[in-house]
Order: sequence, then C-alpha cells, then structure tokens
Amino acid sequence: MRQLRFLAVMLVLIAVVAAGVMPVQAPAQGAKPYEGTTIRAVVNAEYVKYSLSLVEKDLYDKLGIKLDVEVIPLDAFVPKTLLEFNSGSSPWDLIMFGPSNMPDYGRHFEPLEAWTQKLKLDFQLDDIADVYKKLMLRHNGKLVSMPYDGDVHMLFWNKVAYERPDNKKKFKDKYKYDLQPPKTWKQWDDASEFFHGWGWDGTDNKLFGAGASYKPSGSGYSYHWWRSRFFSYGGQYFDADMKPLINTAPALRALEEMVRTMPYYPPGVLLFESEEPKTMLVKGEIPLLYSWTSTGKRVGDARESVIVGKAGFGLVPGAEIDGKIIHRPAITPGRAMAVSKYSKKIEPTMKVLEFISLPDQSLKIVMDPKTIMDPWRVTHFRSEKFRKAFPGAPEYLDAIEKSFPLVVPDPVIPGADEYQRKLSFEITEALAKRKPAKEALDSAAREWDKITDRRGRDKQKAAWGEKMAEMKAIGIEYHPDWAAKAK
Amino acid sequence: MSTLVGTTPAVAVRRVNRHRVGRLVADVFTYLGLAVTLVFFLGPFAWILTTSLKGNNDFFAFPPVWIPSDPSLAHYVGLFTRASGLRYFLNSLTISSMSMVAALLVSLPTAYAIARWRFGGSVFGTFLLVLRMLPAIALIIPVYLMYKTLGLTNSYLGLVILYTVVYIPFAVWLLVGFLRDFPVEIEEAAMIDGCSRLGSLVRVVVPIIAPGMAVVALFSFIATWNEFLFAVVLTGIETKTMMVLVTTYTSGGTDMFYGEASASVVLGVLPAFAVAFMLQRYLVKGLALGGTKG
Repeated sequence: MRQLRFLAVMLVLIAVVAAGVMPVQAPAQGAKPYEGTTIRAVVNAEYVKYSLSLVEKDLYDKLGIKLDVEVIPLDAFVPKTLLEFNSGSSPWDLIMFGPSNMPDYGRHFEPLEAWTQKLKLDFQLDDIADVYKKLMLRHNGKLVSMPYDGDVHMLFWNKVAYERPDNKKKFKDKYKYDLQPPKTWKQWDDASEFFHGWGWDGTDNKLFGAGASYKPSGSGYSYHWWRSRFFSYGGQYFDADMKPLINTAPALRALEEMVRTMPYYPPGVLLFESEEPKTMLVKGEIPLLYSWTSTGKRVGDARESVIVGKAGFGLVPGAEIDGKIIHRPAITPGRAMAVSKYSKKIEPTMKVLEFISLPDQSLKIVMDPKTIMDPWRVTHFRSEKFRKAFPGAPEYLDAIEKSFPLVVPDPVIPGADEYQRKLSFEITEALAKRKPAKEALDSAAREWDKITDRRGRDKQKAAWGEKMAEMKAIGIEYHPDWAAKAK
Repeated sequence: MSTLVGTTPAVAVRRVNRHRVGRLVADVFTYLGLAVTLVFFLGPFAWILTTSLKGNNDFFAFPPVWIPSDPSLAHYVGLFTRASGLRYFLNSLTISSMSMVAALLVSLPTAYAIARWRFGGSVFGTFLLVLRMLPAIALIIPVYLMYKTLGLTNSYLGLVILYTVVYIPFAVWLLVGFLRDFPVEIEEAAMIDGCSRLGSLVRVVVPIIAPGMAVVALFSFIATWNEFLFAVVLTGIETKTMMVLVTTYTSGGTDMFYGEASASVVLGVLPAFAVAFMLQRYLVKGLALGGTKG
C-alpha cells in the first residue's frame, strides 16, 4: 500500500514537472490571431480609402483583421475629427491626419513606444526619411504616428519643350542663356514666359507656359506654391517672439513674382486644386510643373499620359545665394496614421499600423498610380520594382530622394490649419489682383496675430520656439538679406 | 380692326403676312434662346452623366468624347461596392423620406392651429420663420455637443429630428396660407354631417390642400437630401449620406476616380429630380396658391 502511495505521488510529481517544462503550444501556422476584429479608420479622401484597399486582403490573411473606413471630405476633415476628439472620445481606432496638425491632434493619440515593446512591433524607423522622423511623427517627444504619404513637391518638365533645337535657339536669342530645366525661380519665370501661347511641341496649338495650383481651399494650395519661393528667398514663418514674418522682403518678392507671371499660366489656375495641372502636364499642354511627387506615377501611366519616357524629374527651383542654389521644396503636409487613445481596440490597431507601414505593404500603396500617395521610405526610393515601373522611374525616384533632405515643413504649431488657410486666402487675393501683394501679406500677418492672440501668445510662442529650433537643425533660418541678393 | 377698314385686301394680306413672319421670327429667337439656356444649364450635367458611363481612357481623350462608344455601368458598380455607395444612398433615402413624413405630420396640425384659432397671436407664424434665418453653421457646435450627450450622433433618429425641426417653420408658413384660404364653411358642413374636427381635417381639408402638402413634402425631401453640414458633422460610418459621399470625391482631388465621382454626382441628383418630377403638377399649383397667400 505504501509502495502504491509512493508510486502515485511520483507520477503526480512527474506530471507536474513535465507540464512545467513543456513549451506552451504556439498558434498553428496560418492562424489569424485577431480573427473577427474590425478596425474603424478615418481618412480624408476616397483615393485614400482606395489605397487602404490595396493591403486589406493581406491584412486579413495575416492578422484576421478587417477595416471599416470612413471618408470625411478634405475641407471638413480637421474640424470634424477634432470636434470628436475634443469631446473626449472618438468613433475611430485608426486616424489619418496631416502631420502639420500634430499639435492639435497629438494629445489624442496613443504613444507607440510602449506598444512596440509589448507587442514586439517593428516600425523600421531607420528606413524613414529623416525629415519625417525628426519633424512630423512626434508629440511632446513621444513617437505617436507613422507616415502614410510623403507629400513632397518636386519638378516635372516635358523634354519635348526643352530638346527641340528651334526652341533652344529662340530661347537663347531672347534670354541670352541656354534653355535648360529651371534651377532657379528666375529661370522658371523666364521659361514660363517663353513657352506661353504657342506650339512649343511643334504643333500649331496655343499651349501654356507652366502649371500651378492656386486655389486657396483645404490648407491652401496657393500657399504651398508660394512657400518654396518664400523660403528659398530666406523667409521664415515667425520670429522668436511670434511676430509674423510673412509680410517681409522674402515674402513680398516671392508673391510679386507669382503675380507678375500669372499671364503665363492656364486660365482658371486660381481654381486649380492638385489634379488639374497634373492632367495638363500628362496631356502635353504645359511644359513645366512643380507638384506632388505622385504626379510622376501619372506621368508614367501610358493609359493617360502622352509624355511617358519624355518627362524630366528634378528639384523644385530655388534661389541662387552667393553662388549656391537654395532649394526649399514644400512638404504639404504629408499624411500620417495614428492610433486613437480612446480606441477600445488599441492592440489590434497597433498591429494594423505596423502592417500598413511595412516596406512591402506601403510600397504597394505608394506605387499604385490610382492613389496619390507619395513614397516616404528610403526603400521605396530604391525599390527595384518601383524603379522598373515606368520609363524614367529611376530618375523620378532619385529626384524624390534628393528632395527630402531639403524640404520645408508647414508651421507645425497649434492652429496650423487656421494659419495656413488665412495666408492662402490672401495670397490668392493678390494673385487675382484684388489686392496689391504687400496689402495682402500685411492682411495675412494681422490675421496670424489674431490667431496667435486668441490661442494664447505665450503658449504659441513656446510651441513655435521648439519648431524653430527643429527647423534650424535642418538648416532653415530667417535671412532677410537673401531677398535682395537672390538670383 | 378699324385700321383694316378701308384698306385694300392686298394690303391687309401683306400686313397679316408681315405679322406672321414677325411671330415666326420671334418664335425662332425664343426657341433659340431656350435651347442656349438649356445647353448652358444642362450641358454640365450631361457631361457628368456621360463621364459616369465612359471608360477611363475617354476622360482625357482629345477631341473630347461626348457620347461614349462603349457605355458601361462599371463606375456605378465601383461606387456601390468599393465606396459603400449603396449604404450611403439608402441612408439618404431613409433619412429624407422620414424627415419628409415627420415634417408633414408636425407642420399640418401646427399650421391648422395657427390658421383656425390664431394660436400664438398674429406674429407667431412670422416668428417661426425667424428660426429659418439662423445659419446652420451657428448651431452646429451646440447641436453636436447636445447630440453627443444624448447619444444621438451617428443615428437616423438624430438626423430626422434635426431636419424636421429645421424645416418645420417653412412648412408651417406655407400651409397656414393654404388653410387660411380654405373656406371654414366646408369644414363646418362636414362637422354638421357628423365629422369630428380631426375627421374633417383628414377627410375634407387634406385632400383639397394636397398641392400645398406636396410642396412641403418636396421641399423637405430635397432639402434633406441635399443637406451637407449637419450630415458631415453628425453622421458616422453607418449613417453617412449621399451628399457627403459626393463631396469626398469632389473635394481635394479626384485623381483617377473621375468615373466614380461623376456617378456619385448623378446618383446624388437623381432622387431629388425624380421626386420633383413626380410632384411637379402639385408643385406649380401649390407654390402659386400658397406662396401668395401667406
């Protein structure tokens, strides 16, 4: 009996030890760990929703998660989403937003770092263009978002216009220097004047000098187009005391040049949003355009483009200062994705954010010509698949990679959207010749002061102080003397 | 006539002919003017309609493709499947229909009380219209906060209540005009014959003021269908309306979705157009009667 009792105890002990040392059974291969979970996302355009559909199948196959995507129209997006967030809740788990509005959104986002450790997530931050990493993804020093859309401006030109011997001769006779893709604003303005109103492609068509988007809607197209000139002439948004600098010499020179060259742009340019000038470029109606990098995908899409293989890609023009050309392409403002801190599904949403940011998944999004999502990972610029996507793709991707270190961000302080709308409105007033340039910029500066006072000057000054230091770190400072000496 | 007396038949015939030619020329110019006006106003819609039926290659074709050689409903299918268009279309239909019925049910007894018993004194009817003068943008934040507290955001009920409240003043003002014009004696005769007050309202008054009610119905339906501000702020994924969908395509760049954007515009306009077409004979009569007798 005693032996039997001993045997029973030993068997129990062996069973307990065995259970302790045996590994926990891993989920079967192919199991979907979040099967049955639906994540609610919000974005600001149908094409963004479409872009998410490109990764939805893989997302479901890998994680078992489905996406329910709400689209809020662009012009209503910021007020509507902030209204929801500021009321202390949010119907969405995953939020798309413009990084320039980070100061308004950031406190509603779940910081990523703690979840990165907990869930062993890998956002591959080393593969993200520096400017995004340093200026656009953090709130109060914490990483809270991942890029979704590069949104940087670059230069496109129609090689037919630049390579016809007749055009070269005519240009040199008139301007006394060689016709070449513009590197400075002066060259841009000369070229737009030269090409306007005749068939520079060898036809009898009356074509246009250049393209642009000057509508003041959204956060402001005309402001984005003015910004690159303004900063290359030494401009800055505010001084250290929050005094607006948008009506100083660099600002005035930039706007006066834009007003003076208005006759060389297509009629209706004051109503153009992003797609109208892109369409004119790919139809061969304008020889020059600086716009979002996604334009390149339309340029290379033979279904609509007549300039496949005939397009050049480069940096947005700049200003020659003391023999060096200062390029300041705009980042406008990018799109990023973040997880709502009010979400009841933070864990699966973090997994979704990681998944859609993975190099191979995000590549699908930025490569598709039907999205207007721009590349933002270094691996996007260097992807062999992307570089073979259309004739000229390697030059296109190289130009984007060269543009990123030079970009100038929006004023990333609370109320950024409001500041930009006011400025864009006044710029378009000047372009429409309803106001002289100086009066328009003075008016915008007064509006900026009002916004600053309403939001609290000290609070704004503190936020701007941080951003000004970050901009200085990437080489952007106020140089009032540049406006006079820029060539 | 007197001028013809004493003139020769040949002169009279010439004058008549001249008059006929003059009328003919006037008619030609009238129809020409109408044709130009029609092209001006319907041209953009016709372009949108044909674009919604075109293939992707035809969007940028030059010379422009006015009538697609191979029309397809692919963009409508894409709108319904990929962009949740069916969900939003049904939402709009439901919310507009419910608001229309609610506006009629509430405004008729209100208007009746004002017309028959001078409810609220002589200024009440006018005062109601003042509510219409408050811009929606001024109300949106307080309404949103109130709805959030009450749990009415992202619900049909919330939107129907709001639209009903917003459209009642105009509906009441219009119906008061009809009811004041309606002979009380007919109602009294019905009541002498045994009808209750409610019975005479339903059986006698309503059929006769039907044109006015049609105007109210049409107004409520179209206004609700086209409303954007409250719809974008107070709805969510489940209750978003067609107008919000249209704006998601037309605000901020359409890129390659010209076909679906056009299809959304066509579907956005069509139901309101259909309701207006069905009720047009009442509409003209109703506006002519009610509008002048408020």
